[in-house]
Amino acid sequence: MSLLVVFQIGIREVAAHKFRSVLSMLGIVLGVSSLIATMALTRGMEEGTRTFMQQLGGLELVTIAEKNPSSLKMDFANLSPGLTLRDAEVIRESASLISHVSPEIAINSLVSSFGQSGTRERRMIRGIYPDHFVIRMHQIGAGRFLSDLDVQRGARCVVLGNTVATQLWPEASIESLIGKTVLIGTSPFEVVGVLDFYQSEEQGRIRRSGKTSMRWKWDPFRIKNETVLIPFTTLFHEFRSGVVSDEKPNSNKRNDSTEPKKTNVTTESSKTNESIDSIELEALIVRVRDLEYFRPALDQLRKLLDITHRGVDDFDFETREDWFDRVESSVRAARLSGGLISAISLIVGGIGIMNIMLASISERVREIGIRMAVGARPRDIFLQIITEGMFISLIGAFLGIGASLGLIEILKLISPTENVPLLSWDGVLFSVVFALLAGLLSGIYPGLKAARLDPISALRYE
Amino acid sequence: MSLIHLENVSKIYQVGDQEIRALDQINLRIEEGEFVAIIGPSGSGKSTLMHLLGCLDTPSAGRMVICGNELSRATPDQLAQVRNQEIGFVFQAFNLLSKLDVVSNIELPLIYGGVPAAQRRERARKVACDVGLGDRLSNRPPQLSGGQCQRVAIARALVNNPQIIFADEPTGNLDSATGLAILGMFDELNASGKTIVLVTHDPSIAARSRRVIEIRDGRIVREYKP
Repeated sequence: MSLLVVFQIGIREVAAHKFRSVLSMLGIVLGVSSLIATMALTRGMEEGTRTFMQQLGGLELVTIAEKNPSSLKMDFANLSPGLTLRDAEVIRESASLISHVSPEIAINSLVSSFGQSGTRERRMIRGIYPDHFVIRMHQIGAGRFLSDLDVQRGARCVVLGNTVATQLWPEASIESLIGKTVLIGTSPFEVVGVLDFYQSEEQGRIRRSGKTSMRWKWDPFRIKNETVLIPFTTLFHEFRSGVVSDEKPNSNKRNDSTEPKKTNVTTESSKTNESIDSIELEALIVRVRDLEYFRPALDQLRKLLDITHRGVDDFDFETREDWFDRVESSVRAARLSGGLISAISLIVGGIGIMNIMLASISERVREIGIRMAVGARPRDIFLQIITEGMFISLIGAFLGIGASLGLIEILKLISPTENVPLLSWDGVLFSVVFALLAGLLSGIYPGLKAARLDPISALRYE
Repeated sequence: MSLIHLENVSKIYQVGDQEIRALDQINLRIEEGEFVAIIGPSGSGKSTLMHLLGCLDTPSAGRMVICGNELSRATPDQLAQVRNQEIGFVFQAFNLLSKLDVVSNIELPLIYGGVPAAQRRERARKVACDVGLGDRLSNRPPQLSGGQCQRVAIARALVNNPQIIFADEPTGNLDSATGLAILGMFDELNASGKTIVLVTHDPSIAARSRRVIEIRDGRIVREYKP
């Protein structure tokens, strides 16, 4: 007797007892839908963190951070100048495995548009080198980035983040903003570039569809869109009145652009060289030339910084690698625990099937006796019960998939945009296989019990 | 070799430390085409004999050959195959599957016999028409009368074209007129060449057979032609 026929009998049995079958498949429905929903949620989390990481920059980045020196070197910690512009210069000149070096300093200041009553808002102003654009992966929307020349001259030009620009001039297109004047504090700056508007795919989708969400949602690109960037030297001279500003009065600097460029450059650079040790950095981020030589590059950095810091180990490297690992392991943990809980609910669903099938076996002893009397072998009975279990769980799985689609839609409404749940077909496949397995396992015991019935007593059973 | 051949067959049940001899040293031959009635009071062992002959059980001792199959030490699978191919059962309580319609009930032995689906339905329909149920094919047993149910059972017993039909009190749940009609069907079947073994406690029903075997306390006490 062919398996196909056994399956037919099993399926017909399930169809003949609809209410009982639906009851027993409920557990599987819940298990499958929660499994798929959980997997969609963790998948969404993964996608969310991935976009977040992408806009932070790739694996090649190394942030050089300050830390407390080890206790052995505490006594001469004062010898170290800390993280200064010299570090950046030394790395740029000597570290062959590093392709980009971006030292940063920053201040907080009011930003407003010149001659207009537009918004005045306190923003973070960063003084940067052109490498910054590469390292932060900025895209220019209009105009240009800051150039080496801007930095050398200490030019009074600024590149605005898209949000900043549109808030300062709400009506204007970003192209028309090039050449306009922005006041940082009280100093005028010329807008030379406006950055692209950064958004996640999900945000782009919402924006395009014309829906505007009233609720505030956490936006990984907000900080990036609110950037205000000026040349490193300009920020230092203009806003950090230290040793250097004393040498050169402000009135002189205002006329920078009118002075002959050549002399200006030389004075700037010579001055920078004198004071280079005293310019403490807000941040120093470098980019490794080739990921294959990531560790050697770190060694190179360490040796150079050992020299500039006079042997005091008051610096540390933060790599995205650590970060990625950390985030990924937490996502993995979330996926594992979610999957485990859903798997348990699937097992419970399987036990539910087994329970009802066991009960139905004692209800069907006579039926089994009749089937045996007309020639069913024990294995036919066993296969029939197994098929019934698997068929029930398969239908349950399909209902569960349907339910999970609805569930995911609901979750989409309440979850943050960048972590929006994503249906994963692996998850669907996995849960169907798991449900079938649960159905199979739940059919084994009742099946054995039915197959072992004695036909005579089964026929007599009332 | 006879169709049914029992040699010194005993069936012993163990209940606690007590041994119950349901059948004791039975010798019996039934030839092809016979119409045999097995008669005896309840507890005489006639049901046990019926179960042995119907391949629902194996003897504790002795030799049993049915339709050429040596079944003294048969496995459940062997018994199932003989039941499927060589034997048709008609029970007192009909023993139909109430969730299935008439045709599906009748085709049950064919399913376990491995007959292809299309052929199955066709054969089941044909047999159903033969027993006079042509207009009831898609009804289910609860919608049928007792006589009709027993006809379905007979059709099911016949569908695999077995050599032997076993009937266990086939008229026990029927009124006498219907019972007579059913017994008439057995006569016809016997006339067409089927071997019939009928178990009953009612001597008037046994009298319709050609050979009566009377059992008491697990032994054959009398054999006669009515």
